Amino acid sequence: MMRYFRMHKVFIKQDLKKLMEYKVDFLLGAVGFLLEQAVQLLCLGIIFSAIPALCYTENGVVVDSWSFHEVLFIYGFSLIPKGIDHLFFDNLWSLGYWIVDKGDFDKYLTRPINSWFYVLCEKFCVDALGEFIIGVALVIYSTLSMPENIASGILWWRVLPVIAVMPFAIMIFTSVKTATAAISFWTKRSGHITHMCYMTNDFAKYPAKIYNAFIKSVITYIIPFALTAYYPAIFILRGEAPWSLPVTVLVSVLLFIISQFIWHKGVSSYESAGS
Amino acid sequence: MKRLFRIYKPFTRAGLLEMVAYRVNFMFFLLGEIMRCFVMFFVWKAVFDSSAESSIFGFTYDNMVVYIFITFLSGYITYSDGSYAVGKEILDGSIAMRMIKPVDFDMCFLFQELGGKILQLLIVFLPITVGVEAFRWISNGAFMLNVPMLLLFVLSLLLAYGINFFFNVIYGFLAFYLKNLWGTGIIKEVIVNFLSGATVPLAFMGAFGQVLGYLPFASLSYTPVMIYMGMYDVPQIVFYMSLQLLWLVIFAVASKLILRSAMKRLVVHGG
Repeated sequence: MMRYFRMHKVFIKQDLKKLMEYKVDFLLGAVGFLLEQAVQLLCLGIIFSAIPALCYTENGVVVDSWSFHEVLFIYGFSLIPKGIDHLFFDNLWSLGYWIVDKGDFDKYLTRPINSWFYVLCEKFCVDALGEFIIGVALVIYSTLSMPENIASGILWWRVLPVIAVMPFAIMIFTSVKTATAAISFWTKRSGHITHMCYMTNDFAKYPAKIYNAFIKSVITYIIPFALTAYYPAIFILRGEAPWSLPVTVLVSVLLFIISQFIWHKGVSSYESAGS
Repeated sequence: MKRLFRIYKPFTRAGLLEMVAYRVNFMFFLLGEIMRCFVMFFVWKAVFDSSAESSIFGFTYDNMVVYIFITFLSGYITYSDGSYAVGKEILDGSIAMRMIKPVDFDMCFLFQELGGKILQLLIVFLPITVGVEAFRWISNGAFMLNVPMLLLFVLSLLLAYGINFFFNVIYGFLAFYLKNLWGTGIIKEVIVNFLSGATVPLAFMGAFGQVLGYLPFASLSYTPVMIYMGMYDVPQIVFYMSLQLLWLVIFAVASKLILRSAMKRLVVHGG
């Protein structure tokens, strides 16, 4: 285990050196991500300029509502585990898009370390820092600017269990990528399947109650991104959904096992491109 | 004209075959992208449920749903990735092979892309328009589709595609100056999406949105969508479609000029 940590550090160092060589590229990528988030936020701002709070109604009766600050908090929170996963484990995307397709996976099999680990830590994606920093900034900004009646609902000890569960939330992202990227061992390319599953993450940025039952169960149980964003965020804000924390751990471990199973099955049926 | 089609028909065929070969990838990609529409669908549903008014910034809930899906549709149809193809060929030098052949550089890309579009149209256009019309039919109790408007919409989409194509070719030539188009590609995408009203309708941005309406970006997506929704009256349609035509000519001429000057700078090592 320690050996792997040490190795990961070496890989990150190597990548930072590469980065220094292409400073402009890196900068442009980071600016792009920042702009993307800024536009999304502007969008939220425009939406909320028309309404006092986002409500969920059933038969015309308001059941639940979220203020602008709460939605910002949930939105910002969703970027934190996603950003951390993006920072460390982004290379799985390349696997599904071209590594297997080009037959480059051979390299990973000929080294004396776990192939999954090697793919994971080969790339250190600094662009993701933009995502992470914006997420943290939004969470801080939204809590500081909250009106008194909402802010008083936040109990600070609730942050601790959420932080404790955070690694499991991050692992949900990594496992979804692992499982879908591993499909490429059979089909040569599976980046598009990863993309499809990843897009459901957009649902998790908003309160899960506004969706219909089908989508709600998909993002809670099947591709459980809501467990990485809405549920922990609303737990900090209001103490709602405490059940989601143990469920996150359980689901995350389960997903991890499934994804590892698919990965190992996939590696054993991997055929090189033969060129 | 006939000669043009004869020369470039193989490129169209190649584009179509390529799309057929990657149709599964395309379907998954599409499913992922359409998810974003459903996110916005539910968010706006909640927004309209939260609002005391039945319309926000002049859009009713129905309007908004049509807007979300038709914007997605027109974004898909007018999408052009000529910039990547051009940039890649400039960087790896394979552009030299194109230059020694008696075909137009940008026309090759255009016809190849059009070939791929044929299949995309079948997969994307029908389901979305049928879905949107079914939604409108259920919520209004009447059939809302207006055939002349639909034809104008298609025409406006074609113009939008042309503008986007030449815009992307121009952008692709940036590869002469930048080593990597990926970072700037993200920036370009975000800016274009915002300025073209693909993220939020321009009508929501007040006077600023009005100004944006005259820029070429609005011609890319906002104009066709507004025509489809029937938000424009006849003089407005005439005005905005002429504007589209104007931008198309400007971008086409600009791309030709840039192509000519860029070719003089081009250095290909080896080959």
